[in-house]
Amino acid sequence: MRAGPAAIGLTASASSRPLGRRLAESSVALKLAGGAFVLGAWEIVVRLLAPAYVAKPSGIFAALPGVVTSAPVLGAAGITLSAVAEGLVIAVVSGVLVGLFMGSLRLAERALSLYVNGLYAMPMVAIVPLLTIWFGYTSAARLATIIFASFFPIAMNVADGARSVPAEYLEVARACRARPHQIWFGITLPSSLPYLIAGIRLAVGRALVGAVVAEFIISVDGLGFYILFQSRTFHHNEALVAVLLLAGFAVVVDAAIDWIVRSRLRWYRAGEKTA
Amino acid sequence: MRRPGSGKDRLVVLASLGAGILLWEFGTRRLSPAVAAPFSATMSRLWEMTVSGELPTTLVGSLVLFAVGLGMAVVVALPLGLLLARLPVVRIALSDYIALGNAMPMVALIPFILSLFGLDFGAKVLVVFLFAFFPVLYNTVEGARSIRPELIEVARSFRSGEWAIWRDVMIPAAFPYAMTGVRQAIGRALVGMVAAEFFLSASGIGQLLLISARNFDTAGLFAAVLVITVLGFALMGLGRALEDRFTVWRGTGR
Repeated sequence: MRAGPAAIGLTASASSRPLGRRLAESSVALKLAGGAFVLGAWEIVVRLLAPAYVAKPSGIFAALPGVVTSAPVLGAAGITLSAVAEGLVIAVVSGVLVGLFMGSLRLAERALSLYVNGLYAMPMVAIVPLLTIWFGYTSAARLATIIFASFFPIAMNVADGARSVPAEYLEVARACRARPHQIWFGITLPSSLPYLIAGIRLAVGRALVGAVVAEFIISVDGLGFYILFQSRTFHHNEALVAVLLLAGFAVVVDAAIDWIVRSRLRWYRAGEKTA
Repeated sequence: MRRPGSGKDRLVVLASLGAGILLWEFGTRRLSPAVAAPFSATMSRLWEMTVSGELPTTLVGSLVLFAVGLGMAVVVALPLGLLLARLPVVRIALSDYIALGNAMPMVALIPFILSLFGLDFGAKVLVVFLFAFFPVLYNTVEGARSIRPELIEVARSFRSGEWAIWRDVMIPAAFPYAMTGVRQAIGRALVGMVAAEFFLSASGIGQLLLISARNFDTAGLFAAVLVITVLGFALMGLGRALEDRFTVWRGTGR
């Protein structure tokens, strides 16, 4: 029922070419039908089989306006998402530096890759108990978890990217007497940008998981703690709205990266095809 | 530019490992044992836990949970992904929601599982299953979508039955992508395993981590972290080997 106006709005703005338009229309309608099916199946299963407090689409829609306008939820979302953003910035800066170092010096790569790969493969939630010892049950432990979760994919990917810089570029730069920092930030980093972007995509998902796990364990204020509290007091619909906020953040960041790549980094797409 | 791994490379790795151990040993000696344990203390605690049977038992418990959850996810998601690829209408209808499920931080659903399904083994398997399910499904569907329609048309014009199309076209073409999904699922299932052991009934390596942290037994904690790191590294290597083994099938170079 909610799908009706949205479907009209979307199809009206679809491409003006007849064939493309017809395809877009049918796929939008299909996707909306798929969404209606998923929500409908969820609603029916919960109504038939589960107790009344369990989250269902109708309950979530009813809870949505109240939850997204309530000050505590907005505060919690702000705390968690700004911690994730802060941790990601720290992880990107340090990960790029370590990755460039590893990628341009063969010795450094050999010496460090064991640690970077090993700690990347480790399930990052396992480090949270140790971080609570080092940082206490504070928001610093959450930030440390986020950094730990997101640093390694970035460092690993940037190192891979830096290693795959075409040797001719470096030879030309050296022939022109470029300084090391000019080579790093003028050639190696831009050339390994696709790898960095892939690393950031991985890191965002891991950072969110890290933030939620840290909040579950250390019980500091944030979306994760809100989810835990609401679900324990049987407010599942409210808790699920917070889960959707988290998932929405992941989707928005992913879409933003896509948009930047498509609008600013056309050469990256071009390079991807030949690679 | 790239030389094959030489003896010198191996020497560098060993030297770096040695330097790491020395740094760990002597960097932590001045610290309180409640903050960090030296390498030697960690190793003797590791030995103690292995001999007493504590570590092997917890490890087996964790691995059973991991294997059952991951195995069920693969068994369900792989055929489902192929089926969706064969039914384009359903695939287009659901693919965005599958991508959403793949992007979802599953760990946030654990409190719901706890209050709906309790905290026994079945609930923990469900957590691992949820972590591993979407990467396999997502990659299988993406892979099967990339099958050229001509292949199926040719099979059809040679009067292949539905089963023959699956056996000769669908499965061989989609399998390498599915294995990429399995590799990703291995990493996520490991996170799900530890998270389930943290937040549902404490057991396995997750319980070991929690208890040693609570007792400020940093030697035990470091030992547990070391064990899970080695486990993650080994499983990740297994996943890569699996993926590489089937990437050959893609046949487009790379």
